[in-house]
Amino acid sequence: MVTVEELISWVLRIGVLSGVAITALGFFLSADLAWAGVLILILTPFMRVLMAGAYFLARKEYPFFFLAAYVIMMLVIGSFLRIS
Amino acid sequence: MGGFSTDLYLMALLILLFGVFAGSLGAMLGLGGGVLMIIFLLLALNLPAHQAVALSLIAVIASSSMAGSVYIKDKMTNLRLAMVLEAFTVTGAVAGAYLAIGMPVWVIQALLGCVLFYTSITMFRERKVDPDGSETAPREGAGGRGSVLDGSFYDEQSSATVSYGVKNLKLGSVTSFIAGAVSGMVGIGGGVIKVPVMNLVMKIPIKAAAATSNFMVGVTAAASAVIYFESGLVDLKLAAPTITGIMIGAYIGTRLLAKSRSAVVRKVLAVVLSFFGAVLILKAGGILAW
Repeated sequence: MVTVEELISWVLRIGVLSGVAITALGFFLSADLAWAGVLILILTPFMRVLMAGAYFLARKEYPFFFLAAYVIMMLVIGSFLRIS
Repeated sequence: MGGFSTDLYLMALLILLFGVFAGSLGAMLGLGGGVLMIIFLLLALNLPAHQAVALSLIAVIASSSMAGSVYIKDKMTNLRLAMVLEAFTVTGAVAGAYLAIGMPVWVIQALLGCVLFYTSITMFRERKVDPDGSETAPREGAGGRGSVLDGSFYDEQSSATVSYGVKNLKLGSVTSFIAGAVSGMVGIGGGVIKVPVMNLVMKIPIKAAAATSNFMVGVTAAASAVIYFESGLVDLKLAAPTITGIMIGAYIGTRLLAKSRSAVVRKVLAVVLSFFGAVLILKAGGILAW
């Protein structure tokens, strides 16, 4: 039986390792690949929030679920705030 | 993109090596590595300020996620408290990053200088609070007043379950917002602001504070990083050595964390940080051309 903590731990590890590996490959191959790697890395902490949100939803702890949803919403807003 | 230059390889190698150093030292001292990384990128490599901040932020994501994958297994993270404070921090981070991109460089330098002084002071003080980890000894009755934010964890050092209550949530929330904004502006994770406040003001045991802060730091850095990333300020060539180095370092440092007794390293680093704090403030004032 995998606990929530173990699952989050693995998600973090896989996110960082794949993000770093793809960015490193991109260093030698292409900027597009590096771009994708950095994006994976940036999204990794949000996977943690997503999972925490799902955990709170499953436990019907709605105030905490909404907090998680708010945090994710801020990321989405941030991604539209590009400055040239 | 063109071919590779020797300069690029040399710079990449320097960043990689420094990343390993910053990552391991950061994880050992609970610094996260962002503070060291930004100094290096800004003052040693002379990168443009916004680019340095952007790279430092993705370094913070890599190191905090790496360290977090170890922490969370120990169940020291107070997930509910993290969610409450993160709502404030993430708002500050987005606002901070958005404002910083339009700010003149000297403001960022001056702010970072102040952050370094502050960090240096907390590094001197922290030993008094937590001389040998005994502060995390079980405090029966300290927590468990029935709040949903109360936490508990098993402490290996004292072989006991530590339970605690959360105090001064309002002040903690305000500080979290400020920590987020600072993080987005100068490219640090903000743990240096959050951990002392959580520990001293909110009365959370240092280990739980560090683990909870770690959770928040990654999300905070990611929220500001995405703005720099979308604005094209993350150098895609230099990103690779930055995150590879810091990840390796964080992995090493987290492994060494449990048994490190680092009073001397901490004091030396505190002095080094105040030195660079002074350099940055003089630079911001146009007095020093580093």
